[in-house]
Amino acid sequence: MADLTVDVVVIGGGATGAGVARDVAMRGLSVALVDRADLAQGTTARYHGLLHSGGRYVVSDPESARECAEENRIVTRIHANAVEQTGGLFVVTPDDSEEYADGFLAAAASAQVPAEEITVAQALAREPRLNPGIKRAFAVLDGTVDGWAMVRGAAESARAYGAHILPYHEVTAIHRDGDRVVGVTVRDVKAGADKRITCRFVMNAAGPWAGRVAALAGCEDVDVVPGRGIMIAMNHRLVNTVINRCIKPADGDILVPVHTVAIIGTTDVKAADPDKLPIPRAEVQQMLDAGEALVPGFRRARAVHAWAGARPLVKDTRVSASDTRHMSRGMSVLDHASRDGLAGMLTITGGKLTTYRLMAERIVDIMCEQMGEDRPCRTADEPVPAAEGAPTYTVTHRLADREKDRRDDQIICECELMSKSMFLDLLEEDPSATLDDLRRRLRLGMGPCQGGFCSTRAAGLMCAAGARSSVQATDELRGFLKHRWIGLWPILAGGQLRQAALDEWIARGTLDIDHAPGQTDPIEPYPVGTEIDERDRARARAVIGGQEVPA
Amino acid sequence: MSTTAAERGLQNDGQPSESFSVWNHLKKASPRLNNNPNSYEAQQLNRLSLDQCVKCTICETQCPVTRVTEMFAGPKFVGPQAERFRNGESVDHTLDYCSSCGICTLNCPQGVKIAELNSMARAVMKQGHMPLRDRLITQTSLEGRVLTPVAPLANWALQRKPLRVAVEKVIGVHRDAPMPVAQSQSIRGWLRHREGPMARRPGQPDRGPVVFFTGCAGTYFEVETSKKTIEVLEHLGYTVIVPRQGCCGLASQSNGLFDQARSSVVKLAGDLAKGGRHVPVVTSSGSCAGMVKHEAREIMGVEDRTVTDIGARMRETSEFLLALADAGELPTDFERIEMTIPYHAPCQLKGQGMGMPAIRLMELVPGITVVESGENCCGIAGTYGLKKEKYEVAQAVGRPLFDKFKESGAELGACDTETCRWQIRAGTGMDIVHPIHVIHAAYGLSDIHSPQV
Amino acid sequence: MRDVIVVGGGLAGLVAALRLRRAGLHTTLVHMGRGGLQLGQGTIDVLGYRPSLVAHPLTELGEFCALEERRGGPTHPYNLLGVEPVRVGVGFLRELVGEAMAGDIETNVLLPTALGGLRPTTLYPASMAAGTVSLDPSDPGALHDGSRVVVVGIEQLKDFSCQLVAQNLATIELPGGGRLETRSASVSFPGRGTEADSNAVAIARALDRPERRRDFVAALGRLARRGETIAVPNVLGLTDETFTAIADGLGRPVFEIPLPPPGVAGMRLTDRLTDLARAYRVEMILGSRVIGAETGLGRIRSLRLGTAGHETDLEARYVLLAPGGFESGAIELDSYGRLHEPALGLPLAVPDAELLNDSWAGEQPIFRTGVATDCTMRVVEPATGEPVHENLYAAGGFLAGAQRWDEKSGEGIALASAVRAADSIIEQLKES
Repeated sequence: MADLTVDVVVIGGGATGAGVARDVAMRGLSVALVDRADLAQGTTARYHGLLHSGGRYVVSDPESARECAEENRIVTRIHANAVEQTGGLFVVTPDDSEEYADGFLAAAASAQVPAEEITVAQALAREPRLNPGIKRAFAVLDGTVDGWAMVRGAAESARAYGAHILPYHEVTAIHRDGDRVVGVTVRDVKAGADKRITCRFVMNAAGPWAGRVAALAGCEDVDVVPGRGIMIAMNHRLVNTVINRCIKPADGDILVPVHTVAIIGTTDVKAADPDKLPIPRAEVQQMLDAGEALVPGFRRARAVHAWAGARPLVKDTRVSASDTRHMSRGMSVLDHASRDGLAGMLTITGGKLTTYRLMAERIVDIMCEQMGEDRPCRTADEPVPAAEGAPTYTVTHRLADREKDRRDDQIICECELMSKSMFLDLLEEDPSATLDDLRRRLRLGMGPCQGGFCSTRAAGLMCAAGARSSVQATDELRGFLKHRWIGLWPILAGGQLRQAALDEWIARGTLDIDHAPGQTDPIEPYPVGTEIDERDRARARAVIGGQEVPA
Repeated sequence: MSTTAAERGLQNDGQPSESFSVWNHLKKASPRLNNNPNSYEAQQLNRLSLDQCVKCTICETQCPVTRVTEMFAGPKFVGPQAERFRNGESVDHTLDYCSSCGICTLNCPQGVKIAELNSMARAVMKQGHMPLRDRLITQTSLEGRVLTPVAPLANWALQRKPLRVAVEKVIGVHRDAPMPVAQSQSIRGWLRHREGPMARRPGQPDRGPVVFFTGCAGTYFEVETSKKTIEVLEHLGYTVIVPRQGCCGLASQSNGLFDQARSSVVKLAGDLAKGGRHVPVVTSSGSCAGMVKHEAREIMGVEDRTVTDIGARMRETSEFLLALADAGELPTDFERIEMTIPYHAPCQLKGQGMGMPAIRLMELVPGITVVESGENCCGIAGTYGLKKEKYEVAQAVGRPLFDKFKESGAELGACDTETCRWQIRAGTGMDIVHPIHVIHAAYGLSDIHSPQV
Repeated sequence: MRDVIVVGGGLAGLVAALRLRRAGLHTTLVHMGRGGLQLGQGTIDVLGYRPSLVAHPLTELGEFCALEERRGGPTHPYNLLGVEPVRVGVGFLRELVGEAMAGDIETNVLLPTALGGLRPTTLYPASMAAGTVSLDPSDPGALHDGSRVVVVGIEQLKDFSCQLVAQNLATIELPGGGRLETRSASVSFPGRGTEADSNAVAIARALDRPERRRDFVAALGRLARRGETIAVPNVLGLTDETFTAIADGLGRPVFEIPLPPPGVAGMRLTDRLTDLARAYRVEMILGSRVIGAETGLGRIRSLRLGTAGHETDLEARYVLLAPGGFESGAIELDSYGRLHEPALGLPLAVPDAELLNDSWAGEQPIFRTGVATDCTMRVVEPATGEPVHENLYAAGGFLAGAQRWDEKSGEGIALASAVRAADSIIEQLKES
């Protein structure tokens, strides 16, 4: 068992956890960030990518709106490479009453959220696909953000300040000495070994799983209810500006252009288990209808992928009212010292991705207070390394890049213009990276073909680079396609079904993947959100227990 | 990019400043194209079709330009693939190598409007960078009017190497690019000066009027083809009406001069409409037919009623005559002509989706065997193969076709559109004629072996 | 009036048109785009799995059909056709292309895949013959226990990983026992100029040229060792002569392994069949979609095509639909989950199961959707078995009931049904 000693262990590698780790590291404390899976695989990257202008909350929660407006500017600056300044529009569709719109500008002004009414003609000129029957339109400063890139950026910054970033390290125990936290044990999922980390403080930023993590420390009844929402990515950017419906926040009222797709979302249904997030047919239909209201012809456009994410909502009667004074809106902090008599652990959950930095600042302030450390926050002052000197993201940049290197460098994922050296460079940095890990950072397989053409090439490269044996590479391929399927089968129709047919022709017909070496149905290293998980867990346990894997 | 408070529209206390406009900031941070040459209609048609692409690569395997040069990334790449990465602007320049031949769209099993996407993106790319040459060579009607009065001199001059070298240096038209042959008499001149219409076949009743769309080449350069078309139609009993008509704008469209092209095609439709309502419109200019039938709408979003109406009535000559034959209304008492004719169907004819009517039509003549080239493109692609930087590509594209034609040892070859004929003539040294020449001769109205122009 | 309109330019459409034309019928082939032969691997799969590995496709067809019968749902085309039409269909293809396709319809072979597996097929191009593993105990096959193979990749070709193929192949226990001895190597051979990224077609075109071919053969010759068979990806020319020249130049066994699209071997087959169609004077109309039909008195009178500018009505005595399945958009599922056939609105035979499910590892029932026919390949109402139109026939991937890619049965179904449908039409026209 390897040993590591740090001041703080942050559990959960989403926006919250990465933000906390960065803040802690920048304040000069040593920190380890652990997550049972890849970074940002929980709630953070499973949302629609909106960097709020605050416009959405000007009426319902002005304080939150003000925070969003403020943090939007900061995030745009410190994570420029991950943020696209698309701008946003609030539109009143023919089916909406103008009541909400009437109060919108005044509410925005009082919440200090920049907003300006524009003419319908101006809105339609900017976004020709919009419903031509819209009645009013307001411009706001929404942006869009790539959640993975943002979290990566924060993690890289933390690492530059000495943090240990440990994805695929699942916390299996939180150790206490009497009434103090003294450390954790984590299992290195990929290597199959345990590590012991000694620390003074544990920050539980595990989002929907925060309850399970708190229980590891003996803190019971941390009731985090996952609020499941689905999102659907459409094959191309039907709009290039964030489109919000100008109504009280409801399901499916946002259409967000991110990278090469447009994402419609979302719903809000309480789920029992954050590892089981179905994508129900009825909700898919609901989202398609919601899209149709904003962009006529939406249903005839091609839905390319769907996913479900869970908002973590804490229902804790024991949280003290005075705690909310320092908090960012929507954020819950559980001080286990006062709540459970356990010093050295805080649970933080809720909030919005847009205000992640502020949430982290608040909770690290509390932590420092409890630790007796007087260290100021600097996270707003400095861009993360990837954003240093970088312009904000534009959708054209990969096209421009490939134009330059196309004759010298192969394009492995043609849909998303990912080159061979982009892939190999990352693989070299982390040879244990799975195709999905690489996908999250490179967008491999996230375009129209959904891995149909590129994943085989990528698996071949893994083998050629020596990062996998041929059998392992073949199983990587299967695993990748299997994971893609989770987000495909709920929305397959029209053009994407044709794509699936061609992809099947290639994978099963020409490549005969079902009979190639390796396992027909490979084991999952971590839960991927469907019912299949139970069988996988059993087999995974069987392997780790040294038993034969059943065929 | 860090911004000052003022840039972010804030005063020092963090409040939005009075003069800050969210809308202006938005427009600056995420600009849209100024003077977008593409209409909303065309964009929607084509961008929507990119959703049909399943990356099957069929278009790439058929693209004639991809076959010969690595400078072109391929139709799938610059079309449906790159379009997902564009927000109006065009940052990818290999797009310029696309010849707009349309072979990709023609072969796409999924209905992706690949060539149309490329044409639109290229129009954007050329905005503000339009070479003078591209403005000049698209003035096809003007060229004709200028050269006709001085035809012999013009033809002589265009053969002179030093002149051609100078033209290449100054304007950018390749010294060896196939040039049309100017005629001393335009079709209008011929119509004015001829004694009267061609006599009808004995016993042939009146079939009523038909409007003849000459096309610029048919007016000034390929006059013989126009004459023969008119004569065959009159021989068959039609009254051929040739209204004063302008240019269809195809060359302008191919070069991204969309405004010019739009006004040309709308004006042309108006000109042809003067020939009467419900009257068929026949042309031996196959690519111009394509412009009116569908390209103006699919590439530039032209939704003009007259254009649509003329487009619906438009028939290429072989298409028209073959339909008559299938209805049992075409006299087939042709003279026997023993000949094997290599035939190439131009891209823009194939793109109209009617197959290759010229093959069956010509083979109605006893003794004629048509050997279809099986090649995708002759390379000229309208004005593409004239350009000095594209000439070599165009020649490489056409080489297999030229070789096939030459190997046939035939006396003459057939091809339905004019610029393709000039290209193949230049590449093979053979006489290349519009199929109507064969029919004209088969009706005994001329001798197939006499010099063709 | 033309005799038959065939819709679809894939294997079924082309073969049906050739069969009809050879019988002297005026035949028009209408296809929206280039057919799907180049999306597959260029071999003829009659039956590969049932779901166990099939060694004798015709002999084992009966058992396969019995299994299909038990499964229920839309009837599998093989259950309608039986063995004889398969024999006739494959035989007809053999007649058309002669020595271009090798193999024995009675016995499958295994061919290496681009994943380094072994996959059953029935007929294959001569350029793949040196890679066959026998399923007939009395036939040693080209590759067997102890055979030494060098899997050669091309640096510029990203669709083929020589390491993956060589290493995986070596792990496989061969049907006759034992294993292959493999190693990998690679050569540089850009298709065009000095590009880093060449697709298989660009490389194949380069190999069609003698001077480039010479360099390739020399490079292969340098790296192969004595007694080794050379395995390369499917790039050995767009003409059949190229492979022969390469094999002769190397003087040792060489074979090509199928790749994801673009499938060069499939393109060769398409070109051959298209050349024949041109020579036979099948009227080919490329680029227009079938958007409807005029019907009356239980027959289709004409098909409506979406030609540029104006729609065209093509009259014909018979219509044979071979437009493919979901992959061609010949059958569609809309965003509401409704299935339909967009050209003529034909009724579809639909599996009685959840069409799409969450299990990637299993088959998806939706792909068994298609048109139902009787055993003459005339299109019928799935519920009643009554003909939809007296003169409407169907073939190929458009038919209900098969999982072509899982079963490895696509080409067998295409050939059997296309020829059967064509013969049904020929019979009827001869009678009248």
